[in-house]
Amino acid sequence: MESKPSVSPSSFVDQQVFPGDVVLDLSKMTNQTIKLGGGLRQDGDVISVMKAGKLRFSKPNKYWVESSHKRYVPSAGDNVLGIVVDAKADNFLVDIKGPMLAFLPVLAFEGGTRRNIPKFEMGTLLYVRVVKANTGMNPELSCMDASGKAAEYGPLKDGFMFESSTGLSRMLLSTPTCPVLETLGKKLAFEIAVGLNGRVWVNATSPSITVLVANTIMQTESLSPAQQKIKVENLLQRLQ
Amino acid sequence: MEGDEEKFVTPGEVLGKATELKAGKGAYVSADDRTVYASLTGFRSLTPPPEGSDDPRPTVEVKGHKAHGPVPEPGLVVIARVTKVMAKMASADIMCVGPKSVREKFTGIIRQQDVRATEIDKVDMHASFRPGDIVRALVLSLGDARAYYLSTAKNELGVVSAESQAGATMIPISWTEMQCPLTGQVEQRKVAKAGA
Repeated sequence: MESKPSVSPSSFVDQQVFPGDVVLDLSKMTNQTIKLGGGLRQDGDVISVMKAGKLRFSKPNKYWVESSHKRYVPSAGDNVLGIVVDAKADNFLVDIKGPMLAFLPVLAFEGGTRRNIPKFEMGTLLYVRVVKANTGMNPELSCMDASGKAAEYGPLKDGFMFESSTGLSRMLLSTPTCPVLETLGKKLAFEIAVGLNGRVWVNATSPSITVLVANTIMQTESLSPAQQKIKVENLLQRLQ
Repeated sequence: MEGDEEKFVTPGEVLGKATELKAGKGAYVSADDRTVYASLTGFRSLTPPPEGSDDPRPTVEVKGHKAHGPVPEPGLVVIARVTKVMAKMASADIMCVGPKSVREKFTGIIRQQDVRATEIDKVDMHASFRPGDIVRALVLSLGDARAYYLSTAKNELGVVSAESQAGATMIPISWTEMQCPLTGQVEQRKVAKAGA
């Protein structure tokens, strides 16, 4: 870890940073607006890091720290996979791998009224959207998008769900399509739902395809794009 | 019925006959309206009847035990510290009743519909209170066994003092916002109108 005498923003971007690192010195930059995302904090005149991870920058002025964990910190706007734990009068209690159980209001479904409340058993897997996630309060979920339409949210039937890290989920959801999914999709037909909380659900017509897709995804987490393609092609050849 | 001027009594002790005494604070009349009993521990004291009333009986009260701090009553303004904020209500620990601090733990609840007077169904509890805020509230009712019901639905009620995420005491800007002096960040609260 070298210490740089002058802290210019470009020196730390895309590098691994640790809590306590000073990444920006505001007194050297005048008249700029900077947006801080997760993992960064303003301490008077300097911006210091709170979470270990890679510092990322997106034009024109957004900085944030990206890290991969097995734990999920709920944040508003995320699409996650939750498991129903209990059903109360006004909401379902859903586990989303966060510090607290989340509440899914019984009416948060398209066309939901008091008369047609869905009956979810304990253990039902749901694809939901996090509406509110404030510290200290239980997160609130919804099975509708912001405009009130159902939009693929709801229970996921059949298939296989496995848990991994949040970094893998982000890689699977990145645009352009990550190499693993692209290569798999050329040869196999399957459906997949990725939750930002580290849960992935795969479904295909035959169990062997489902297992192959799931194992492939789990094994390619730490590989570079080129390595991913090679690995996937190897595994596909073994199937044929 | 004379004895020592200030006799020490415990709950259940007979204080006198209902025909001779009126039950004041810390005393009550039995179901058959014949005897006055003590309901608190303390010293028994008699006060003569107020002038001009038809009732010639003196009032007997039980006071003086040091656990008898002030108690929240409906209609009084209290100062409380918010302990938990949930989707539809916030819990608070009542610290003072009027100008006096309480001696025992009292819990209050501020429901979503009692936070402010306008647009009560659109209230966001997280944008009104945070855990650790000091609020001035009005006691609505005795509530249930667990907590009093409090309200901040007036201009002079609401958050009096709050800490920002950076740890500094915030300065109120408007009735919905407070600003941190260290970082300049503005946070949303239901702020009480300052003033005497």
